[in-house]
Amino acid sequence: MRQPGSIASIVLGAALCTVVAGASAHDESKYPDWSGQWRRPPGVNNQWDPSKPARQGQAPLTAEYQAIYEANLKDQAAGGQGTDPTYTCIPDGMPRAMNVIFPMEVIILPKTTYMLIEYLSMLRRIYTDGRDWPKDAEPSFMGYSIGKWIDTDGDGRYDLLEVETRNLKGPRAFDASGIPLHADNQTVVKERIYLDKADPNVLRDEVTTIDNALTRPWTVIKNYHRVRDPIWVEAICSEQNEHVRIGKENYMMSADGYLMPAKKDQAPPDLRYFNQTKK
Amino acid sequence: MLRRSLIASLAAAAMLCGPVAAARAHDEPKYPDWSGQWRVTGGNKWDPTKPVGRGQQPPLTPEYQAIFEASLADQEAGGPGNDLRFSCLPAGMPRMMTVIFPMEFVFLPKLTYILFENQMPRRIYTDGREWRKEVEPSFAGYSIGKWIDADGDGRYDVLEIETRNLKGPRAFEPSGLPLHKDDQTVIKERLQLDKANRDVLLNEITTIDDALTRPWTVTKKYHRSRSDVWVENNCTENNPHILIGKEAYYLSADGTLMPAKKGQAPPDLRYFNQARK
Repeated sequence: MRQPGSIASIVLGAALCTVVAGASAHDESKYPDWSGQWRRPPGVNNQWDPSKPARQGQAPLTAEYQAIYEANLKDQAAGGQGTDPTYTCIPDGMPRAMNVIFPMEVIILPKTTYMLIEYLSMLRRIYTDGRDWPKDAEPSFMGYSIGKWIDTDGDGRYDLLEVETRNLKGPRAFDASGIPLHADNQTVVKERIYLDKADPNVLRDEVTTIDNALTRPWTVIKNYHRVRDPIWVEAICSEQNEHVRIGKENYMMSADGYLMPAKKDQAPPDLRYFNQTKK
Repeated sequence: MLRRSLIASLAAAAMLCGPVAAARAHDEPKYPDWSGQWRVTGGNKWDPTKPVGRGQQPPLTPEYQAIFEASLADQEAGGPGNDLRFSCLPAGMPRMMTVIFPMEFVFLPKLTYILFENQMPRRIYTDGREWRKEVEPSFAGYSIGKWIDADGDGRYDVLEIETRNLKGPRAFEPSGLPLHKDDQTVIKERLQLDKANRDVLLNEITTIDDALTRPWTVTKKYHRSRSDVWVENNCTENNPHILIGKEAYYLSADGTLMPAKKGQAPPDLRYFNQARK
């Protein structure tokens, strides 16, 4: 029979253990293992809806924004950039950053989950400390994100991160085809991020975009495949960028370093401020 | 009796705590408190104790001193000199440690991240790894670090870092103070809190580079802010500098191309159908 003194020792031991363990913060065992490098799956290009081939998705655009999109496609077919603003190397912003053109990694800390995306060095901070929405935060391409961890299967370990992102600025498009978001930048992006139960090396992101360019919330499911012990590469958009924007016109750089038209019969830039006799 | 119970309790604690504590990784009390935002003091010059430009008195070889003088002359005439940041190329190492816009540190057991408001992150591997041969050169380089408990109190207080595998072009500061185009730079850093003020972080940075006659050490100081307001700083947004080939131009307020230097020729328009002008 166990003696009362022994029971007391065990109880006191457990109490002491709690005090010691409490001095160590960040219980990693509470969080899922999202370590490593996450890449978009083979065969998926940079389209927003990965379930459809590139440029064949059907965005639920309003009539006004469908017209803008069609004009954009025509401009791109003629050599322009349409409504895809990122050729000047501004960030993709949200939700487009989650196309994960180049890999990303996720760093989980108790109060903040960071997403580091290789392309354009985009960084997301997802605050999981229970804070309220700020009233005065400056709008940004990546927006302001608040998240909440959920233990959906009750095993004592979080497995789902729900995120809401607001406070965005533009211009932004969903992908390189130029599917536009509304100029009012009132976008709200909601995500549910979790590991695939069948394959823990697949991370899923159910992304729902609520935007005034759309007739309804638009949900797509992104999958990312894990690589352990990754090698990271710098993806520097402004290095050898062949696009040159002068005012509202987009030009190109030729292979031999001269300015050239991006579209057929495009006029050259206005050189009124140059002393032309010095040419 | 009481003493025996206490011993038993402690033994029980040891048994119970062992596996539980092992399940909890990342013992934060082992690491220093470098939380918050950090900004450099002393402005955007490389050596914060000296004036920018020639006042830096950099230990350059004669060849690179001449390159530096040519850069200063070009800048005085309105050009960029050797400073290509105007085209939004990354500052790279070591210049990115002149942290005008804030940075923050994120510690994991095997990696320390430095996250910046306006440039790519640094990953500093602290897992004891060897230098890798297959890593592509980059502006931020490849960094291996080591935590040190310098005062023996059981808590790390110094992070030593070595960075290699860099690419260019890079300059130390906006004056265009050059690093060698062979990109064989090695950078060594010692980061620790100022013992007199725990809201000051010191970074002793030594640059070894073939543009220099000797290793060049400067000490940067960063001041802490407990703010968690982060602002996007996108160089490419509304950038008035236009690079065409090797010539830097400027965008006027009305969106028209203009010279950056007096007497600068306009860009060659050979590929345009001039009859359409």
